[in-house]
Amino acid sequence: MGCQQMGAVTFPDTRVIAFINQNVIPLRLPHDHKPLAEQFQIKWTPALVTLDAEGKEHHRTVGFLAPDELIPSLLLGKAKIDFDHEDFAKALVTLEDLLKDYPKSAAAPEAIFLRGVCGYKSTHNPKALKEIYEKLSKDYPDSEWTKRASPYRLI
Amino acid sequence: MGDAIQWESDLSKALARAKAENKPVLMDFFNPG
Repeated sequence: MGCQQMGAVTFPDTRVIAFINQNVIPLRLPHDHKPLAEQFQIKWTPALVTLDAEGKEHHRTVGFLAPDELIPSLLLGKAKIDFDHEDFAKALVTLEDLLKDYPKSAAAPEAIFLRGVCGYKSTHNPKALKEIYEKLSKDYPDSEWTKRASPYRLI
Repeated sequence: MGDAIQWESDLSKALARAKAENKPVLMDFFNPG
């Protein structure tokens, strides 16, 4: 059912089409594709997996995403690739775009968390970590990412 | 830009494009039901 909704609502959206065709290489595979469904341990669909150009997974979602959730999720995946490759400046640019354009999306709290970690990794200033908790507790008090950042309140 | 997503259907080809265009790959596993 989720795949049908993605096909009927999300993927035909003109903003989604433009974003995907501009920013990612889209690859569509059946849920029982051999050998990739097993290799990527696909157990439920829709499953969207973001890979780097070497084929390594960095981000995954399972279940329906509306257009206003899919685009920020893809931005988060792009930022995670740069973060994992330790290109923190590039990751920060993508995260700022996400937070500017999709501040109410489900991806936003994780983006704030990752933005703060990028800031800390770049500067080694623990203030960047404290700011994660301050921002999340103010704007997203019920997010799991606020809970994950709670130790930083002690900095 | 086109009026639809230009899906690839082969991982090797998608990865080659990803390297050439410096983009991530979005892999969509779907169940046509």
